[in-house]
Amino acid sequence: MKQRTVWPAILVAALVLGGCGSASGTRSSPGGSAAKLVVWDWKSGEATAAQYIEKAKADFARKHPGVTVEFVAQPHDQYYTLLGTAIQSGKGPDVILFNGGGQIRDRADALLPLDEYVAEDRQRLAGWDAFTKDGKTYAGPVTLQGHPIYYNRALYEKAGLDPAKPAATWPEFVANCAAITKQTGTKCFALGNKEGIGIQFFLSAFGSGVLTPQEYDAWIAGKRDWTSPHVKRIFALWKETQDAKLNSDGPNSTAMFNDAFAIFQSAKASHVIGLMSDIGHWKDFGEFLPADKIGVMRAPVVVPGATPSLPFDGGIGYGVAKWTRDPKLAADLVRSLTSTDALTAFHEQAGAIAADTTIDVSKGGPAVTTIVTDLASGKPALHVALSSRTLDLMGRVSQKLLSGSITVDEAVRQLAASDQAG
Amino acid sequence: MTSVRPVVAGRTDRARHQRPAPPGATARRGRGARRSERLAPYVLLAPAVLIIVLLRLWPLLLGVNFSFTGDGDRDGTMVGLDNYRELLADPLFRGALRNVGLLVLLLPVAVAIPGLLATFIYLRVPGHRFYRSVYFFPAVLSPVIVGAIFNLLLAFDGPLNTVLGGVGIGPTDWLGDPDVAMFVVVGVHVWATFGMALVVFLAGFATLDATLLDAARVDGASLPQTIRHVIVPSLSRTIQFVFVTTMIGMLTSMFGLLYVMTSGGPEGSTYLPEYYIWIQQGQMNRPALASAASTVLFGVMLVVGLLQISLLRRGVREA
Repeated sequence: MKQRTVWPAILVAALVLGGCGSASGTRSSPGGSAAKLVVWDWKSGEATAAQYIEKAKADFARKHPGVTVEFVAQPHDQYYTLLGTAIQSGKGPDVILFNGGGQIRDRADALLPLDEYVAEDRQRLAGWDAFTKDGKTYAGPVTLQGHPIYYNRALYEKAGLDPAKPAATWPEFVANCAAITKQTGTKCFALGNKEGIGIQFFLSAFGSGVLTPQEYDAWIAGKRDWTSPHVKRIFALWKETQDAKLNSDGPNSTAMFNDAFAIFQSAKASHVIGLMSDIGHWKDFGEFLPADKIGVMRAPVVVPGATPSLPFDGGIGYGVAKWTRDPKLAADLVRSLTSTDALTAFHEQAGAIAADTTIDVSKGGPAVTTIVTDLASGKPALHVALSSRTLDLMGRVSQKLLSGSITVDEAVRQLAASDQAG
Repeated sequence: MTSVRPVVAGRTDRARHQRPAPPGATARRGRGARRSERLAPYVLLAPAVLIIVLLRLWPLLLGVNFSFTGDGDRDGTMVGLDNYRELLADPLFRGALRNVGLLVLLLPVAVAIPGLLATFIYLRVPGHRFYRSVYFFPAVLSPVIVGAIFNLLLAFDGPLNTVLGGVGIGPTDWLGDPDVAMFVVVGVHVWATFGMALVVFLAGFATLDATLLDAARVDGASLPQTIRHVIVPSLSRTIQFVFVTTMIGMLTSMFGLLYVMTSGGPEGSTYLPEYYIWIQQGQMNRPALASAASTVLFGVMLVVGLLQISLLRRGVREA
C-alpha cells in the first residue's frame, strides 16, 4: 500500500529536482587560463575577415609565443543577449567585439579601461569617442562607420556633368539631379525608408549642410534645440526631396537593406546615402558598379554658414573583460587586432574603412580616397546621438512626411517631445 | 478523478486474498492504508499540477507583477499603473488594438473564402482535383517565405503594378500606403493559410448527406439556394470550428508576415500587439512596458477565447 504513494512521490521529487537542475545546468566557462585567450565576435567566421584574423593572430603570436587564442564567432542577432548572460555570470571571453556607442557604453561596467595600454595607438587610430565613457576608453577601434553620399560617376558623365566636381550647394545639387534625370531617366536618390532608416541616414548625411557648426556640436553634446529653424529645415528638406520627385518610387515600402542599395547599384538612381563599413558601402556596390565609377560627395550647403563634414563614428572595436586573468596580455591582443597589418587586410578584403588612418587606400578608387581624406574634418553622426525611442518615432514620422499626412511643424514637435522626455 | 477508481478496485481485489491479521494490527494498518489512500490522488496529480503551476501560472503571475514595475532608472520599483497609462496614451498601441478589431471584422471573409472554394470542389467543378492540391500548397510554406514572395510581387516597381499599369490602372504602393497595407497583409495571410481551413471544410462535406443535395437538385434549387439552405445548415459545426481556428491563427501567427512584409509600417499602421511587445522588449529595452502590453493582449485573448467557447457550446446544444 505504502509503495503506491512512495513511488509517485519519488517520481515527483525526481521531476522537480530534475527540472530545477536542468535550468541552471552544467555550464562550462569559456574563459581561458592565462596561457589561453578567448575572443568573442561576430566577424571571425566571415570569409572576408579571414585574412584579418590571421594577420592579427600572427602579430600576437610573435609577441607572445605559447599563448593560444581562440576566436568564437557568435551569431550577430543574438550577440548581445549571449554576452549579457556571460557578463551576469562574471565569466566569459577575455576579449570582446563591440559596436561603438550605446552598445559598449551600456556594458562598460564589465570592461577594463584600456587607456594605459593603447596610448601608443591614439594617433594612428580614429574613432575612439564611440568607445569612450566618462573619459575612459574601453575598446580599440577596428572600423569606422559613417554615412557618405555616394554618387554614380557614369551617370554624371552621361548627363554632361563633371564627376570630379559634385554640387557644393543645394540649388546646384537639385539642378544636377534634374539634368541627370532628363538625360538618363534615373531618379536622384535611391531611398529605402520601410524601416525608417532612410531618415536616419538623411539626417546625418545632410545635417552638416544645414546646421551651423555650433548647432551641430551642441546637438552631439545633447543640447538639441528643436525650435531652431535649421533643425526644422532638415525635415522640410526631407519632404522637399519627395515632393520634387527626387526619390526612387515607393520609399515607404522599400527596405534600405538592400533594396535601396540595389536601386543605386543597378544605376536606377544617381545618389544614395550609404555606409562606410560592413554593407552598403563602396566595395559592396562594386559588384555591379566598378570602383572608379563611384564617387563620394560632401553634403551640399543648404543654409549659408553651414560647414559640410563627413558624419562618422567608431564602428566596431575590441574591448577587454574585467575578469580576464592577465589584462596586459588581453590588451596586447586588442593591439594586435588593431595593428596596421591586420587592419590593412580587413580593408582590402572586406572593403571596410579601417580605424587606422595610415593605411594606403589608393587601390580602392576615388570614393574610398575621398572618405579617408574627409575623416580628418569629420564629426559624429547626428542620428547616433538620439535615443532608440526617438529614432523609432522619427522613422514613423518621416514616413508620414513622405506621404504628406503630417506637417513639418507637427513632426518636429513630436520629435522634440520624445527627445526631451529622454 | 476517474483515474483513481481502478486503483481502489485493485486494492480491494488483492485484500480479498490476504490472510486475516490480528484485530489490533488490522486497525493500525487500516488507518495507515486509509491515509495513504487519501494521499494517493494528490500525489498522483502532483506532477501535472506542479508543471501547470510552476511553468504556466507562476510565470504568468510574475509577468503581470512585472508589468507594475518600471523600466530603466526605475527598474525593479513598483510604479502602479504607470505602464498601463503609458500604453493607453501611446497611439501606436491603440493602433495595434484597433488592428485586432479589424482582424475580427475581417474574420467572416477569411472563413467564407475557403468555404466557397471547398463547396466548388465538393460540387466537382472541372479540375477540382487539381485545385484541391493547389489550394493547400501555400499552407506548407513558412510565413517568412510567403512574405518574401509577396514583397517581390507587391513592390512598387513589381509585377502586380506592372500588370495593373498595362491595363491603365495607376500604381498603388501596396505595402507603403497606410490605408492599404493592413488589408494587403491580412489578404496574404488568408492566402497562405486558407488551405488548412479548406481541408477541414472538405472533411465536413464528407459527412454531408448526399441525398439532401440530390433532393435540392430535383426540386430545381439554384447554386446559391443550395448553398444557403442545404450546405450551410448541414455544416454549421464545421463552420464554427473554422471560425475559431482562423481567429486563433490571425491573432497569433501574423508576426512573421508583419516582420517580413511591413515591419509594422508604414507609419505604424500594421502594428499588432505581438509586434509592439517585441519592439518594446527587444529594440526599446522596455521589458516592463512590454509585459504590460502582454498582459493586455492576454486579457483580449481571454475574452475572445471565452466568447468563442460559449459560441461553440451553444452551437453544440443546437446541433
